[in-house]
Amino acid sequence: MSKAILGTRIRERRRALGLTQAELARRVGISASYMNLIERNRRGLAGALLRSTADALALRLDELDGAAERRLLESLDEIAHTPELGALGVEADSAGELIGRYPGWARALSALAHSEREATAAARALADRLTHDPFLGETVHRMLTRIAAVRSAAEILADFPELDAGQRDRFHRIIHEESRALSEVGEALAAYFDKVDAPDRTLTPLDEVEALFDARANRFAEIEAAASGLADRIDTAAPGARRGRAQELAERELGLAVDAILDRQGEVETAPGRARARKALMGYAAAALLAPMETFGPRAAALGYDIEALAEAFALDVETVCQRLTALPEEQNVPRFGYFRANAAGTIIERRGLSGLVAPRYASACPLWVLYCAQQSPEAVIRQRVVFPSGARFVFVARARNTGLTGFGRPRHYLTDMLAMSEPDARLTVYAPDAGVPVEAVGPACRICPRRSCTHRVEDPLTG
Amino acid sequence: MADAPRKRVLLAEDEPNIVESLTFLLGKAGFDVVTEVDGQAALDAVLAAPPDVVILDVMLPGLDGFEILRRLRADARGQSLKVIMLTAKGQREDRETALQNGADLFITKPFSNADVIGAVTRLAEQG
Repeated sequence: MSKAILGTRIRERRRALGLTQAELARRVGISASYMNLIERNRRGLAGALLRSTADALALRLDELDGAAERRLLESLDEIAHTPELGALGVEADSAGELIGRYPGWARALSALAHSEREATAAARALADRLTHDPFLGETVHRMLTRIAAVRSAAEILADFPELDAGQRDRFHRIIHEESRALSEVGEALAAYFDKVDAPDRTLTPLDEVEALFDARANRFAEIEAAASGLADRIDTAAPGARRGRAQELAERELGLAVDAILDRQGEVETAPGRARARKALMGYAAAALLAPMETFGPRAAALGYDIEALAEAFALDVETVCQRLTALPEEQNVPRFGYFRANAAGTIIERRGLSGLVAPRYASACPLWVLYCAQQSPEAVIRQRVVFPSGARFVFVARARNTGLTGFGRPRHYLTDMLAMSEPDARLTVYAPDAGVPVEAVGPACRICPRRSCTHRVEDPLTG
Repeated sequence: MADAPRKRVLLAEDEPNIVESLTFLLGKAGFDVVTEVDGQAALDAVLAAPPDVVILDVMLPGLDGFEILRRLRADARGQSLKVIMLTAKGQREDRETALQNGADLFITKPFSNADVIGAVTRLAEQG
């Protein structure tokens, strides 16, 4: 959202609330004349001031700075380019107009599309489970076997009235034993279906952790604040030792702050999810101690967000640098970064989302992403300029790393870290592509990609 | 007819209560019954002294029912044996596998006693 629109937006909202400019300025804690400049679009607004203005206007930050609208536009754009809707003649160019004139309808459409995607993914996961789940197959077999035993014994008792008392007792005992075993099988089956039903919001602990980081835009101000001032307690220079020391210090000094976040949030509900979230947040805390934001932020800007230069400057590994870059505060002229980590099998094992970058939650991403090519040239930083079917352009920067020595004759293990940034944001970094850099036409994942003629397609798009 | 030797049935099933009921029923119907609870033991017993009818449960410890059937059909002594497979209802793949591997009949659990006795009697008369 441009500076011009932001000022106008503040003025309109203030008037709608019936506030004077002086009153708004007082609530935000600045002079009335400065507020006047902001409202007339003569001054920009960012950081803490933007946040307190949003509070004073009773708006969420993303509503005030237009991020919510941008997300809605991206979401509608994605709907317009959904392959199965291709025949409907969706007016992709009119998404902005729809949001402007009928914001409620636009939000409803986006919410419906989102829930449809979640439901489809959940249905596919459940169908997979029902068809191939060994537990289910075996339990059904056990249940039918128990029923067969009960039925056979009961029929004998009914059909052979001449049985002596000893024989009758034997078949009664069989019915008794088998019906008890049958109820145990029934209970096990009920418990299984309870478990299948339970995760109606997210399906895996990893999803829960991602939801937590998404909800906080990858940044935990409480941890940043608590870590600030503790960094000088890491009194060693050796990179390996620094990391260990930071982890100890985080556990001792920042554990309470992390637990407080976990107690208050609403995204992580299951015990495995909580354990995983705690681990992720302790990792965040250790990284915050190794590279406190007050020094990391300015240094990152000065070095053009160069991951290798930053790794050198802070004696960190590239992975930690990438994680710190995703936690940069939302300010003007500070690029926003997304982060993906993939293993050698191509599974995305960690993800910090980036607004507008559509990445699959339940499948591998597009095989053309440099995320999957970087392992061909380990340790080299590779840049890729990409365009999505929606027209959105991003710059990806990936680097594969060996996870350690494994010994002679044993395969080495590689992980790939990938940073993602929008092309406009990339211009603030050393990764800014020149006009001549080729643009790779990629997609989110085959299942949701409309590029029908792509030669790298491995599965058909979801069509009705 | 009265002097005809009793026909022999081998029942390979590891659920003791089903074994008990079927042994009782087959005995009442005039068959001699041999039972085995282990897959390999069942295969050995069938090949050593081929019975008139074999009833094979799909899920057996050792060798499963399908594997026993395959090995029987691959052996000269087992090619013309009458074999009934016991499968679980709804397990369509099991039924298809049973027929592909040369079962004469399959009976799904939960079965009625009349189904089992009727099937065994019919196959024994053919043999």
